[in-house]
Amino acid sequence: MPGKLSRAAAIVGAAEANEIGFLKQPVTSLQLHIEAIKNLSEQTGVPIAKIEGVFSTGWSSELCEHLGIRPKYIDTTAVGGCSFEMHVHHAMAAIHAGIIDIAVVSHGENGHSAQKIGGRGIANYGLGGGATSPGFEMTAAYGIGGASSNYAHAMVRHMHRYGTTTEDFAHIAKVTRDWATLNPRAAMYSKEKHPFGGPITVEQVESSRMITWPMTILHCCMVADHGGAVMLTSPKIAAGLNTAPVWVAGAGESMGHSNMLEMPDFTATSACHSADAAYTMAGMGPSEMELALIYDSFTITAAITAEMLGLAPRGQGHLLWKEGHAAPGGRLPINTNGGGLSFNHSGMYGMPLLIEAYRQLSGTAEDGVHGDKGKQTNARTCVVNGTGGALSTTGTLVLVSDE
Amino acid sequence: MSYKLPIPAKGTHTQPFWDGTKAGQLMLPRCTDCNRVHWYPRFICPFCHSSDLEWIQASGEGTIHTYAVQHMAFGAWAKEAPYVTAYIDLKEGDRMLTVLRGVDPLRPQDIKIGAAVTVEFEPADDDTHIPFWRLVGE
Ligand SMILES: [Zn+2]
Repeated sequence: MPGKLSRAAAIVGAAEANEIGFLKQPVTSLQLHIEAIKNLSEQTGVPIAKIEGVFSTGWSSELCEHLGIRPKYIDTTAVGGCSFEMHVHHAMAAIHAGIIDIAVVSHGENGHSAQKIGGRGIANYGLGGGATSPGFEMTAAYGIGGASSNYAHAMVRHMHRYGTTTEDFAHIAKVTRDWATLNPRAAMYSKEKHPFGGPITVEQVESSRMITWPMTILHCCMVADHGGAVMLTSPKIAAGLNTAPVWVAGAGESMGHSNMLEMPDFTATSACHSADAAYTMAGMGPSEMELALIYDSFTITAAITAEMLGLAPRGQGHLLWKEGHAAPGGRLPINTNGGGLSFNHSGMYGMPLLIEAYRQLSGTAEDGVHGDKGKQTNARTCVVNGTGGALSTTGTLVLVSDE
Repeated sequence: MSYKLPIPAKGTHTQPFWDGTKAGQLMLPRCTDCNRVHWYPRFICPFCHSSDLEWIQASGEGTIHTYAVQHMAFGAWAKEAPYVTAYIDLKEGDRMLTVLRGVDPLRPQDIKIGAAVTVEFEPADDDTHIPFWRLVGE
C-alpha cells in the first residue's frame, strides 16, 4: 500500500543558472542560485513572489533576503550531495501537510570560481553569506560584532518610536531573574551558584557595565553550556507511554531578513507572521495562552516578541514585565525557567524553550534532569517563540497539554 | 595607506560601487523596470524580480534611522570603542550601515533619529575607499 505521502506533490519545473561549467568570469554561489531560481520562475510562469518554501544546503535565509520574499517554510538541511533529494522529501511533506503550496529546492556552488574568489561553502547564517555575500560586503567595514552590536539598534528605534526607556526594559531582566531564583538549574539561581547570581534590582540592571548603548550587560543573555533534546511521536505511540503528552497544536515559521541591514521595521520581527500561522493552525489566539516562552537574547527581543505574538499591543510589550503580569504569580508567566537572560543560553536558545514548555505543560517543572515536580505554573497552553540571527528568523509553536 | 580597520572582500558584481567610492561618488543600484533603488547590490530586483538593473549616482544625502554605541568591539575595531554605528535612510531609498562621524559616543542622547547626514569616503587601499556618514554641520 502506498504511504501517506505518496504523490502528495509533483516537481513542475527544473532550470539552471545562465552559464554553467568552467566559467571564465568568476561567479559567486549566490549568483548561481539566483539565476537558477529566476529561470525556474520564467519556465513555470510562477512568479518568484509566490514561492512559499525554500530548501537549500544552508542558503535559504540569504536567498529569501536577496529575493525579497518572506517564506512560510525554511529548510537548510545540509548533509552532503544527497541533501537535495531530502529537500524534495521535506518539501513534499510540507505540501502534504498544507503548510505551503509552492516550494523551491535551490542549488548554487561555484566549485570552479571558488578557486579564484572563494565562497564555495554554506552561507553564514545570520551574517549573510560570508565574504561573497553582497550584504556582508557592504556591512563588513563598520564594526558590527556580537549580537548585542546589532540588537541595540532595535532598542533605540523602539525608544524613539514608542517613548520607551532603558528602565522599561530593565524590568524584563529583573523579573526574569526572579524566575531564575526559583529554578536551581538556572545559572543565576543564587549568589552561591554564581557570583552575579541571585535577585537583581532595576537599578542594578541600569548601572551594570555598558555593552552596546543603550544595553548594559544585564540586558544581554549569557553564553553558557547547554544540551537538550525532545522527542515527538504519533498519538498512538504517545498513548502507550508513561510520560504525559504535550501536543503541538500549532506551528509556524517566517523570516524578515538575514542581515539586519535589510530589517524593514526595527521594532517588528517576523514573529507576527509565524505566530499568525501557529495560532491559525491551533485554532487558538494569544488571549488563550496561559504561558509564554520567548527567546530573550536581550530584553528588547523579549519585549518586541511579546508584541508580535499578540500578548501586548505594539510598543507595550515591556509592560507585561513592568506591571508584574509575567512575574511569578502573574496572570501570564513568561520565561519561567529564568530565560536566556538568567537560566542558560549557549548561543542558540531554542531547545531550552521547548524543554521548559514541556515541563510546565506536563506538570513536571522544574527542578532537575528528571523533571521532578517543583515550581509549577499549572498552565495548559503555551506559546513558544524562537528568534534567530539578528532578529531575522522566527519559529512559533502553540503547545497544549491533555485536558 | 594607514587604514587599519577591516576592508571588505569584493563581490563579482559590485565594482561600479567601489569605482564610485574612489571618485567620491555614491553609486546605488536601481531597477530599470520599477525604478526603485535597493541596497545592498543584488543579482535581481528584490521588489519586482526584474534582472534589468543599473547604477545611478546618488546624492550622498540621508538621515539617521537608528543608532547604537559600541562599547564592546572585536578585532581592529576594539581599540576604536566606543563608537557610534547607525543605519542611514538614503535619500534615494533603502538603507545603509555606517560608523557615524561628527557625533560624541559618550553623549548618545544628543544624537537625533532623523538628523541629516552626508557621505564621505576614506581611502583604505588602492581598490577601496570606504563610505562613512557624517552628521551635517559637524
Ligand atoms: Zn524592480
